[in-house]
Amino acid sequence: MALNKEVYKEFEDVVGEENISDDPAIMPAYFGTGFAAIVMPANTAEVQALVKLCNKHKLQFRPICTGWTGAFNKDIIVFDLKRMNRIIEINEKNMYAVVEPYVISAELQAELMKRGLTCNMKGAGSNCSVMLRGHGALDQTTSGDDRNHLAIEWVTPTGEILRSGSLGSSDEWFCGDGPGPSLRAILATNVPPGITPGIFTKAAMKLYHWSGPTEFPVVGHSPKYTLSEIPENMMARYYSFPSVEKMWEAEIRIGENELAFALYGVCLSMIAANMTTRNEDEAKVFKQLSDEAQGPGFFVVLTGDSAADFAYKKKALEKICKDADGESMKTLEDPEVEGILLCQCVRTSGSIRETFRAGGAFNSIPIMGQRDVNIKWVVGAGEAKKPLIKKGLIVDDGGGFFGWGVEHGHLGKTEIFCRFDPRNAEAKEAVEKWQKEQSDRAFNENYFVMSMGEIDEKTGERMCHYNEWWNKVVNIVDPNNLASNTGPLV
Amino acid sequence: MALEDYRGDMGMCCRCSACKFVPMQKVKGKAFSYICPSVSRYNFHAYSGGGRLNIGAAALDGGLEYTDKLLDIVYNCQLCGACGVSCNYAMDMEVLEPITEFRIRCNEDGKTNAALDKVVAGLRKTGAMIPAKGKRGDWATGLKLKDATKEKVDVLFHVGCLTSYDKNTQKLAKATVKILQKAGVNFGIAGDAETCCGGRAYQMGYKEDFLSQARKNMDMIKKSGIKTVVTACADGYQAFKVLYDKYNLKGDLEVLHITEYIDKLIKDGKLKLRKKVDIPVTYHDPCHLGRLGEPWIHWEGKKVPGDRFVFDPPKEYRRGTKGVYEPPRDVLKSIPGIKLTEMTRIKEYAWCCGAGGGVNVSNPGFARWTAQERIEEAVSTGAEAIVTACPWCEKNFNEAIKASDSGLKVYDIVELVEKAI
Repeated sequence: MALNKEVYKEFEDVVGEENISDDPAIMPAYFGTGFAAIVMPANTAEVQALVKLCNKHKLQFRPICTGWTGAFNKDIIVFDLKRMNRIIEINEKNMYAVVEPYVISAELQAELMKRGLTCNMKGAGSNCSVMLRGHGALDQTTSGDDRNHLAIEWVTPTGEILRSGSLGSSDEWFCGDGPGPSLRAILATNVPPGITPGIFTKAAMKLYHWSGPTEFPVVGHSPKYTLSEIPENMMARYYSFPSVEKMWEAEIRIGENELAFALYGVCLSMIAANMTTRNEDEAKVFKQLSDEAQGPGFFVVLTGDSAADFAYKKKALEKICKDADGESMKTLEDPEVEGILLCQCVRTSGSIRETFRAGGAFNSIPIMGQRDVNIKWVVGAGEAKKPLIKKGLIVDDGGGFFGWGVEHGHLGKTEIFCRFDPRNAEAKEAVEKWQKEQSDRAFNENYFVMSMGEIDEKTGERMCHYNEWWNKVVNIVDPNNLASNTGPLV
Repeated sequence: MALEDYRGDMGMCCRCSACKFVPMQKVKGKAFSYICPSVSRYNFHAYSGGGRLNIGAAALDGGLEYTDKLLDIVYNCQLCGACGVSCNYAMDMEVLEPITEFRIRCNEDGKTNAALDKVVAGLRKTGAMIPAKGKRGDWATGLKLKDATKEKVDVLFHVGCLTSYDKNTQKLAKATVKILQKAGVNFGIAGDAETCCGGRAYQMGYKEDFLSQARKNMDMIKKSGIKTVVTACADGYQAFKVLYDKYNLKGDLEVLHITEYIDKLIKDGKLKLRKKVDIPVTYHDPCHLGRLGEPWIHWEGKKVPGDRFVFDPPKEYRRGTKGVYEPPRDVLKSIPGIKLTEMTRIKEYAWCCGAGGGVNVSNPGFARWTAQERIEEAVSTGAEAIVTACPWCEKNFNEAIKASDSGLKVYDIVELVEKAI
């Protein structure tokens, strides 16, 4: 549905001629065709004005940032937030940074490292918005999900500007829960752009201490970057264990002793993807690593604030892993391999290699919850992948999975995915079936309930009818039903 | 290869936006983190490398008709290849090739750009990509250079269109001559018999005109028995070395850029740089010497059925790894007094000067905007001059500086070497 000229002109008057288009040529780049228009606001005031126009003309809208996933309805106004890409403030003293949605994690982290700080890095990749909700390899020390969002500026679906937390009662960004309105349960559903209706235009993100270098000494040429040296008081290792139980035993002790800067509990196929620069090599390296490993494991990064601190952590790590019969994989002790994996992990720059490179697509089941419980489930989900691997429908990762504790604790993220060629209909169908079966198994065997996307009645019952409450909230904040909810975006 | 041959590659785009930025490990802060001039200037995702692949895929599926906006997207791209480098850090897929093929398809369908048409009309008439006044070899009058088409020489110095005809750029040809003479190289030029390499016509989408120029050049080279060509123009270098090879026209011709050749002369002890050139500089990697100067890799194969995007035989991608990066830097470091400070975006992830893909003609404002971004980056290093190795870069930088209040100087590397001998 094209906008009529008068309506188009109203939108154009807000953003300027250069920053709006309803030309069909623009649209394939936004996952579809037939959008009413794509608009690119430059600031909160423009977002507000555009949202009010959407309300005036009853047009659905949805925002997008860098965006490697998303579903978009026809006839909507797509807000491409590319022009909202400023780092507003880095407050070193109070350890937060205020950003607009199109600041990517790689940009902010690089600025922070110069100041001895870092932010949480989402596993979706450092090419994604800093404001994205999610988990990543640094969760041990930087937490994850919505825990890093402090005050948020939100243009509601009706075009009001709402400032949460401390920003609601002052011009300070330091707190997400007051003294102004918290609204964390609403704002943190998936920020942004996520399934919370409306558009998040700024957020303060929590910062953390970083004892590593101001920048990694990356040398060489793409795609084979290496570190010229391992930075002082830093180390990375991959420990494999005889069983998943032993792996968990070591993981939780490392957490309880607050040893690891990063505990990146990835399977060997993901390590192989990070190590290699092309698909063919990845398959070979995965095989080599699988032969070398004694079982499941994790990649761990240590950083020390001093030589003594580092020496203590190293000794403690080795002791804990030894107690759990863990063995450090020799291939990854090679300084060239260690260096690049360390850098990839901290900077979260290998996500696309891990996910899309092999076949072009992946379907995932991500969970946040009790690690030892979810690990038991995920082993089964991995076994269920094996028939698909045998048929050649998905990439052989040995039934691998990944996860880690958050904030050094028992709660954590666990995830498993299948990588496949989306043009292969049989593979796509098989992967979707696997995904459904394993989610249902989690539900029926009381491991967890999937809370991403639309929540059905059956699931809602297990979640105190969360879905009904959520729908009531949405109906209040979005009375015209314009902020179309088509699932989370990355 | 036609656009259809890249259907699988275009389908691999996961829309991660990596193509907009320098490779993630090389992001050093908020400043200078972007790599693609087009999406940086025009912002819509459609102007990014990935967006262009999405458009190409949609066009193949019959879902797109030519519109002014579509052509605006197509021609507002320098085809600098930076998107491909950033993508190919992680992904195994062609990026620049399908984008180039889409432009060629537009051209074949008659959807050309009027400004570019005019340039190519001039090429067909005069053999040059810029308005040709006088004869091509006039710049060499009085220099008593050998005619490589008639006399036996070890090296043909292919001068290029801009350096031959542009009064402000001819100094580069003369500096090159002085350097080669000083080193005692047995070289010659083709003079009036020289014709355009065709590389810029190819970038503009005029594939047949490129092939015509390539054949003319190679006929002349074969008839003259020339074994080695040295160019002082990055576009010429890439055309002779990469594009001619891509279309099986290069044979065993050795192609060297002047920076590679000077570097060799210095390392062989044939050229001594003694005079001090006391200036802090930064070096700009021309796209066609750097990431796009990587040798062509001949490959033919089929996708292996199954889960992975792999081929039989395995496909080796050109990811910008093997461009010419060190020789120009080594030459600069050989000049006494020069202090070289690197910019943030260098080598395979260098920011384009803005002149590529015919953008300097089709949209001079965008070309200057792109150059201005680079000038700001150069200034941020504390350098007093930006040094490049391509006359098109030098011209575009100078025009951007003229339109601004920057005091930055622009040199081609041969000018500094000339000062040092």
